[in-house]
Amino acid sequence: MAQENFTFTLPDLGEGLVEATVLEWQVAVGDVVERNAPLVEVETTKSAVVIPSPKAGRVVELHAEEEQVVPVGDPLVTFEVEAAADAPQAGIVGRVPAEEARPARRVRLRPPSD
Amino acid sequence: MSANLAGDVTMRYVDLRPQASGGGVPVLLLHGFGTDFSMNWRAAGWAQALEAAGLRVIGPDLRGHGTSDKPADSASYLPEHFVADLLAMLDELGVDKVDVVGYSMGSRLAWELALTAPERVGRVVLGGFGPKNAFAGADLSDPGSGDAPFDLVYRTVAALPGNDAAALAACARGQASRPFDADPPLTGIPLLLVSGAGDTLAEGAAELAERCGGTHVEVPGRDHANAVSSRLFRQAVLDFLAD
Repeated sequence: MAQENFTFTLPDLGEGLVEATVLEWQVAVGDVVERNAPLVEVETTKSAVVIPSPKAGRVVELHAEEEQVVPVGDPLVTFEVEAAADAPQAGIVGRVPAEEARPARRVRLRPPSD
Repeated sequence: MSANLAGDVTMRYVDLRPQASGGGVPVLLLHGFGTDFSMNWRAAGWAQALEAAGLRVIGPDLRGHGTSDKPADSASYLPEHFVADLLAMLDELGVDKVDVVGYSMGSRLAWELALTAPERVGRVVLGGFGPKNAFAGADLSDPGSGDAPFDLVYRTVAALPGNDAAALAACARGQASRPFDADPPLTGIPLLLVSGAGDTLAEGAAELAERCGGTHVEVPGRDHANAVSSRLFRQAVLDFLAD
């Protein structure tokens, strides 16, 4: 099957955060990673976060070094992935929800506070 | 999922069961001051790592935090109330025994839980925790106003969306009114302490581990805020729980 490159950018981590510091890569160039596997550990001014891989694929480039500050939207990592033969070639740039399949809590909506 | 406990404070939690159980006891994850299960543990990669190890994860939002009720009086935050919440939750779930992993304030509560109900606790991990007074130098009538380590923590978390600053201040006062005491030591329960090498709030962790016959693992290059997501920390805990 055809291969294509996919570059994952630092996602919006919420709360108005505009950048994050790379603490430790959980993958290296050449690694084959599963979707949702730990990809990189980053720290914001609010918390430390492990970002899961949005794709299954082989890592071909890491765009930031450890301790480097990366703005939201800048490239983090490029994967070589299987080209999706049946998917439209345009419009596949959306972010993949990382935890949609998990049996997560359903009470995230906040009740009216007093 | 939600636990409506006896009393007037509702603690909400998640109960994550692995697709393939490894047969271990469930792991109770207790988050730190001013965060919640999602931020402290899930976002830091813990839910996934424990699930991959075949372990069931029980993750409450402690009272005053996250999705749980947030009373504004400090008496609601005495350690025994947190312990009662946790035991009521385990009773409701029908879980006889858990391994407990805490971070920061959650570690202090893990200690209290293990002292109060040792028959319910298999192993204990205290992350980001030491025996020194976490509130030293802070004026808790106006938390965040000074430059003590706790003031810095308070200022960071009080500004987080969803947090109730008044409830967190009450929580700090309730916790501080019962200072941590390493006496009696926690003995007879396997104990692991893990802390960042630069974590000033965890000073004395190695001595506390030794005193209890436990182990201390130091995470190089990390501090109180960023040790929790480190791979080394997770791996140390997975090894300890599987031991």
